[in-house]
Amino acid sequence: MSFALSSMKPMMGRTGLGLRLISTSRAAAVQSSKITSAAGVAANETAGFKYIPGGPVLPGTVNDATSFPHSDPSHGSRHWVFERALSAALVPVMGAAVAANPGTGVYPVIDAILATSLIVHSHIGFDSCIIDYLHERKMPVIGFAAKWLLRVATGASIWGVYEFETNDIGLTELVRRLWTA
Amino acid sequence: MFGTSARNILSRSTAASTLRSTRAFSSTPVARFASVVEESQADAEGSEKKKLMKEFKIYRWNPDLPNEKPTLQSYKLDLSQCGPMVLDALIKIKNDLDPTLTFRRSCREGICGSCAMNIDGVNTLACLSRIDRSETKASKLYPLPHMYVVKDLIPDMTQFYKQYKSIEPFLKNDNPPEKGEYYQSVEDRQKLDGMYECILCACCSTSCPSYWWNQDEYLGPAVLMQAYRWMADSRVSLDRPSRQSRDRSSCSIRSFLQDAYGAERKAKMENSLSVYRCHSIFNCSRTCPKGLNPARAIAAIKLEMATGA
Repeated sequence: MSFALSSMKPMMGRTGLGLRLISTSRAAAVQSSKITSAAGVAANETAGFKYIPGGPVLPGTVNDATSFPHSDPSHGSRHWVFERALSAALVPVMGAAVAANPGTGVYPVIDAILATSLIVHSHIGFDSCIIDYLHERKMPVIGFAAKWLLRVATGASIWGVYEFETNDIGLTELVRRLWTA
Repeated sequence: MFGTSARNILSRSTAASTLRSTRAFSSTPVARFASVVEESQADAEGSEKKKLMKEFKIYRWNPDLPNEKPTLQSYKLDLSQCGPMVLDALIKIKNDLDPTLTFRRSCREGICGSCAMNIDGVNTLACLSRIDRSETKASKLYPLPHMYVVKDLIPDMTQFYKQYKSIEPFLKNDNPPEKGEYYQSVEDRQKLDGMYECILCACCSTSCPSYWWNQDEYLGPAVLMQAYRWMADSRVSLDRPSRQSRDRSSCSIRSFLQDAYGAERKAKMENSLSVYRCHSIFNCSRTCPKGLNPARAIAAIKLEMATGA
């Protein structure tokens, strides 16, 4: 009897209702899953099953609340305010770039501000896509690669814009010529 | 008279034995029996009602047969013998055609949220949604989208409830009134309207693409609206003065008193995943079977977190 009990133990799960057989559906889903990443959740928190973010195995018992990620306003409210303020600011900046007289000294400054804000705006947008679809907790390799690819691309774009503004005609002038071409 | 009742008893006992013996294997004998019942019912009520045969295609998956893929099973039902709502049809199918069909239901009046499912492409409560009475078009019933399925139309709601628990959906107040109840002005009470009515059916959360992709971290509209419901409650707001108000201790104006627990609640959400995966898609507000507006509550959370209110 004791042998039978101990041999059954791996199939038992910690649930809110005490020891209980883990349902076949969940176990089958775990076995058939091909994803192998685990994000800092110990096996004893998941009744011995491997934790897959967003997968069928949840850490803790059914009565444990989910936990929150590390709290940092620069990824939360401040990030959101910056993103919204930048998006709103792009409207007058674009208007200023259209209205500015190409001969004046303020013209290249407005042009540079517009080009840089557009790049930062796109960076935030793409970063949001990466968090949505390729987050590192789910895809450690692809997520990491995408994050750094975006950073390199943004850096290269800013350097390119610098070259374009200092040694060439600048963004506004390019649009102006394309418009009239 | 005696003869009929004896027959009824006999048929009932055979029905019970058929059910018991065949439930796990196949539903065909039961279905055959069900058609007999339907005929007798029609005889009893008189068949002046016009038959309206409607096809229902229902998602079926049995966890006991994990190697079999989920399928859409088709059922034809005479709507003249059935109530007007989709839940009536489901109960009719389970009673008469196929007792193995599995779904959650309880109140049948839109207050428990058990029968939330995807009906003809829309997340809603089966008990609040009328059957489309066109005979040519089949109604398709699926479980709530992008949830792990326990069986047939039953999704696994564990994560949803764990997330609900994580936002601490209860009043937190260090100085409850010594006797009697908390007082609340009419205006303060009105702030909770449109939020307290939520029945946590998860129709909104499971209609949200962000919740589909990041269910493990993003809280989802239903839970976020409840999070805001406990941030907006005035009964927690007056007990802990902020540092600002302690400096001006002579001043007891309400606006200098801050809800420390509200700040705590908001501080937990200062990350890119818990709340900021909301991209204002508004599927939540569109699908809510109770007509609530979770997107507005999420916007209010974002605004309060941004302004430090």
